[in-house]
Order: sequence, then C-alpha cells, then structure tokens
Amino acid sequence: MNNDLVVEIDGIAKRFAGHVAVTGLSLGVPRGVVYGLLGPNGAGKTTSIRMMMNITMPDEGTVRLFGDQKGGRHHSARIGYLPEERGLYPKMRVHDVLTFLAEAKGVERARASSQADAWLERLGLEQWRMARVNELSKGMQQKVQFAGAMLHEPELLILDEPFSGLDPINQEVLKETVVSQARSGHTVIFSTHQMEVAEKICDAVCIIAHGRKVLDGRLADVKKQHGSTHVAVAFEDGSQAATGLRLVADLVAKMDDSGVFAELTLKDGVEPQQLLERLVQARLTLRRFERVEPSLQSIFLEKAGGAEHADRTEVAHA
Amino acid sequence: MRKTWAVIRREFVERVRSKWFVISTVLGPVFIVAVTVLPSLLLTQGGGRKDVVILSANAGSLADRVRSQLSRDANFNVTIDSVDESLQSAATDSLTALVQAQAIDGFVILSSSTLESGAAEYRGRNVSSLTDVATITGALREGIVTERLRRRGVDPAFVQEAQSHIDLTTMRISKRGVTGESGESSFFVGYFVALLLYMIILIYGINVMRSVLEEKQTRIIEILVSSLKPFQLMFGKVVGVGAVGLFQFTLWGLSGYALVHYRTQVLRLFKVPAATVAKVQFPHIPSELVIVAGGYFLLGYLLYSALFAVVGASVNSETEAQQAQQPVMMLLVFSLLVSFSAFGDAGGQLARLASLIPFSAPIVMPVRVATGDVPGGQLLMSFAILAASVILVVWLSARIYRIGILMYGKRPSMRELARWARQS
Repeated sequence: MNNDLVVEIDGIAKRFAGHVAVTGLSLGVPRGVVYGLLGPNGAGKTTSIRMMMNITMPDEGTVRLFGDQKGGRHHSARIGYLPEERGLYPKMRVHDVLTFLAEAKGVERARASSQADAWLERLGLEQWRMARVNELSKGMQQKVQFAGAMLHEPELLILDEPFSGLDPINQEVLKETVVSQARSGHTVIFSTHQMEVAEKICDAVCIIAHGRKVLDGRLADVKKQHGSTHVAVAFEDGSQAATGLRLVADLVAKMDDSGVFAELTLKDGVEPQQLLERLVQARLTLRRFERVEPSLQSIFLEKAGGAEHADRTEVAHA
Repeated sequence: MRKTWAVIRREFVERVRSKWFVISTVLGPVFIVAVTVLPSLLLTQGGGRKDVVILSANAGSLADRVRSQLSRDANFNVTIDSVDESLQSAATDSLTALVQAQAIDGFVILSSSTLESGAAEYRGRNVSSLTDVATITGALREGIVTERLRRRGVDPAFVQEAQSHIDLTTMRISKRGVTGESGESSFFVGYFVALLLYMIILIYGINVMRSVLEEKQTRIIEILVSSLKPFQLMFGKVVGVGAVGLFQFTLWGLSGYALVHYRTQVLRLFKVPAATVAKVQFPHIPSELVIVAGGYFLLGYLLYSALFAVVGASVNSETEAQQAQQPVMMLLVFSLLVSFSAFGDAGGQLARLASLIPFSAPIVMPVRVATGDVPGGQLLMSFAILAASVILVVWLSARIYRIGILMYGKRPSMRELARWARQS
C-alpha cells in the first residue's frame, strides 16, 4: 500500500441487471495531481466515481480513500463532489443552499455561512445571496454548484463531467478553479469524454472503455509509451487535403482526418521527411507540417478503438 | 449528528417560511370547523320557514289537529286543502306542481283511513331534512293520538297535558363517575379528533413524500447521499416535517385556547351579546385524551411518513406519485371509516380489532378514548404493537429508500420493492 495515494482502487467491478458497468478496474491517484478519468459516454466513468463516493457499492474489489476503506461518505468533509447530474433546491435561497450543503458535510453552521458568502463573492454572485435558486440563470446556477462542491475546502475534488453543459465563461471559471486548487496542493479527479480538455489540465490519466481500463499513468509517460511517430499536417483547403492524404496513404498507419487538418500516425520505420517530400513534389500548399506528440484523442482512438472491435458487448450505461 | 440536525433544520425552516404554511395555518381551523360544525348546523337548521299544505281527503277533524300541532313549530306555516276523496289524485297533482314551482315546500296527505291505519304520506322538497321530517312525524303522531282518544271520549285538554314534552338529558358515565359531558359533545370530540388526526397525518405524510421526490427530481440527492447516510437523510426529513406539524398544532392549540378563553371579548367585536356567548357550551377535552392523541399522532405520523417516503423514493414524477400513494391513502381512509364505528360502540369488536392493527390504531384508538372508556391493558397492547410496527416499518422503509432514491426509470413493482429491501 502506498500512503501517497489519495485514492486507491483495486479490482472493482459493478454489474447492473443485464450488463457489466465496470470490471476489474484498478487505479491509483497520487496526492496533489490533476487526474483525468477518460472514456467515451457509457464507459463506466460515473459508476466508478459513484463507487469512490460510496453512493453505490462495488460488487467486487476495494476502494481506499486517504489510506482507509471507510468510504467517501465518511470522508465527505475532505471531499468535494460534483455529480454528473446536477441540481439544487429550486426554491431555497442561494446562501441557504450553500450553507446547508456545507453543513451536510459536517461543517459547523457559522463557518458554513461565512464560507458561503466568501464563495459567492469570489464568483461574483454576492448580490444574488438572498435570491432563490430558480431565479438565477442557468450559468449562475452552475457557479453555485461549483461553490457547493468546494466551499468546505476539500483536499480532494471529484468532478464528474464538470465541463459538460457549461457555457464558455463558466468553462474558464471552472478551469481556473481546478488549476488553482491543484496549485495549492489539492488533488483533483475529474471525468470527461473531451480529450482536448483533459490534455490541457491533467497530470495523469486513466482511459477506460466498456468498463475496463485501457491504460493509465502520468500523461507524459502515456504519450512516450504509446506514441508512435505522429505528424500534424494542415493544407490550404479541403480538396488539396484530399489529394495529399491520398498520396501518402501507404506510409500512414492511422489517419485522424479533420478535413483541412489531419493527424497522421506513421507506419513503423517511416520518417516524416518522406511524407513531406511527396507533398512538396505534388505542389500542394502546406499551412502546417509538424512532428507532434500524439494527442490523447489519437491514443484513445488507437487503444479503445481496438478494444471496441475485440469486445462488442453491450455498452454499459454509467 | 450535526449532519442530521442540518437536514431537520432545513426541512423545518424552509417549510415554515413558505406561503403554504402560513395559508394552511390560517385556513386549517376554518376548514375543520367547516367540516365538523357546518353539517350539524345545516342538518338542524333547515333554513327558514316551511310552507306546508295538509291535503285532507275526507280526513275530517284530524287535519285540524295535525295543523295545530305542526303550527307550534314557529318554522312551519300550515294551510289545509280539503277535497273529496274522489278528487285526491287531481289535488295531489296540482300540489306537486306548486312544490315544483317552489310556491310551497311540501304537503301531507291525510285520508279518511289515516286515523285508523296511522298511514300518511309527506311529499316535498325537504324530505332529506331530518329535523323537518321528525317535526312532521311528531305532529302526526300527536294529532292522531289526540284524535283517537277524543273519539273514545277522553277530554282533549287532558290528552294535551299527557303529551307534554319529554326532555331526555344525556350524561356520559366514565370510571370517574358522571363527567358532566353530554352525548353530543363526546360524539363531537370523537369526530373532531378522528378528522384532525387523519388530516394531519395525511398532509404531513404527503409532505415527506414530496420532499423525497423533490430531491430525486432535482438530482441533488446524489450530493446528499455522498455526504449523509440515507438513513440520516430520511430520519432528518421525517423529524423536520413532523416538527412543522407539531408547531402548527401548537399554534392552533394556543390560538384555540385563547379564543375560548377570551370568547366574550372576541365575540363582542362581532356584536354578539355576552348572554348568548355564555350559553354556548364547549366540549370538555380531558388532558389524558390530549396525551393519548399526541402519542398516537407521533407514532402514526412516523409509520405513515415512512411509507410515504418509500412512495416518494420509488417514483420519478408527481403523476406517478399520485398513483403510487393510493395504497397508503387507502389505509388511512379505511382507518378513518373504522373510527366512525367507534363513535357508536367504543368497546365494540371492530373498534377493538382496529386498534390492534398498527395502520388503523393511530386514528381509532384516540377516538375510542374520546368517546368511551378504554381498559388500560388494551391501550397498552395497542400502543406496544404500534411502536413495534413503527420500528419495523421505518427500518424496512429506510432500506427501500436508500436504493429507490438513486433509481430512475421504470416504476418498481411491489416485488422489486421487496427485493430492494432484502438486498440493501
């Protein structure tokens, strides 16, 4: 057992009537990192998080939080949790909801109340303090939700699909909050199916698909380990791209084609230079040609895409 | 404990602050008075003067006797329509038309054979008024008896004297002797207690159900369950909502007491003379009834609110809740109906059985205590069974609740509910 792991999951499995949601999942989240739990919709992310939080019990395996097996509810004062399905009491006053949510985690009332005020000010909602939740705009309600998850100053933040359904401003607010939490030494775990977002903020990731772990580790290691040679290429327009990609098709193992832009995984032994020569000879105008680290997206497609072919069982609904 | 306290506090404060609470606190007593006092007022005061015709088909002097008896009641304005027996059906038709045109309220048909057979007929709009019919029956009886005796040569003045009004006063005797309480007032107290318990258990039980459903619908439940044990949540909810009920009860009790205590001053505001006020009798409510009703309210509320919590946890929407709450409502309505039988016979077999069944005991037992004497042993037995059932039902409900609150989708069947209770 490693005492530096804030969350340590060992071989958990959860079956619902008729399908397997998660099976044989093990992972460890070190203290102070931003950890991404990645996978497509229905991969088992939410189920795994619910098992961490004591909301559902694993059929097999164990979850250790802060080094013991007492469960998320026992440690709720140290954990901030933002579920995928969000909601507040629509008729309660904003300040009272926040105070109640902190009290429910065991924070003393007076402190809960002053923390609520502090967070409302921080999020620019101080003039809505006495308004009822249903009088707030959707964006403001989302901010109140974050505040609810964080105002008891948890050491560990568990956010389930935190970026889905957010307007761009709140995405920014949340990202800043996550980064500042991480900078001050807190651990953040979040799930997402948006690989680009994860790529920008995560120190470590775990990719799951069909309830199974595909890979995990520090982001840099994952890229090194799973990175074949990747080239990012952008053409002048879509028709040039089509011509160009056809020209180099025999050198490429895998192609993530976005129209004008494409990310190419080269076959073993192929050098980027060979591609460039062909494209230049064909007099195609390149806007970009760059040797890149593989994106999480492409690693994910490579790994989980394969898993999809090998295992066509019903996708579990998390 | 602090967490549970936060839940109790939230349920209490949010409810007491709501418009619903203010409105129901003010209108609750109005409603209870409306359903307890109004029907009896309506039954006894048929509403104004009655124009009644006596259709005398060769009934002779009997018609006059009946008229003079009936006219003693200041509410009746009686006229006689004498026709020959051969014209009776035509006269009946024209009088029926008069009733339909609302010119008269009804008519009594007396014929030549009435005196001998005692058979008469009344047709009118007010036949459902028990008091009107009783007055007419009384007048007929006295008229016929007087006429029969007169024909046998008895002095009518003597007959009148012999028929002077009889007044039966009823007094309830309990173990402590004569209580000074009339039969009507103990009926009234019983009726009042039954309705009050029924209403308050129903209203607050449904409140618990709504509250569970709200947390499920808004999905805040997941945050709550990650911080609190489902049992803490359910317990806090039931206690918090129950505390609102007790608080409302106390407000009603205090204001009711104040009203009765200062009734002369209050009614003076409405220009009611003090002498009239003094005549109004208030039923005596013994303190042990208050204690018994309070105890049964608490346990009954716990029992039903746990059931309502299960209903709330097993449905996804208000519409589904409407359906799913039916079985629980039936139990309550059944209890109320059975409690009515206890008015007539507090020690009867049905009442005794119903006060042992935990679902009906909370309403039936207080009614029995209000209307008759209940042996201490029966009271103890009923209370013990109820208390044990509360523990069992709350425990089972909590197990179903903790699974139900996180389940969305199809409404579970009874069998699935049973499985949830077993597996959690």
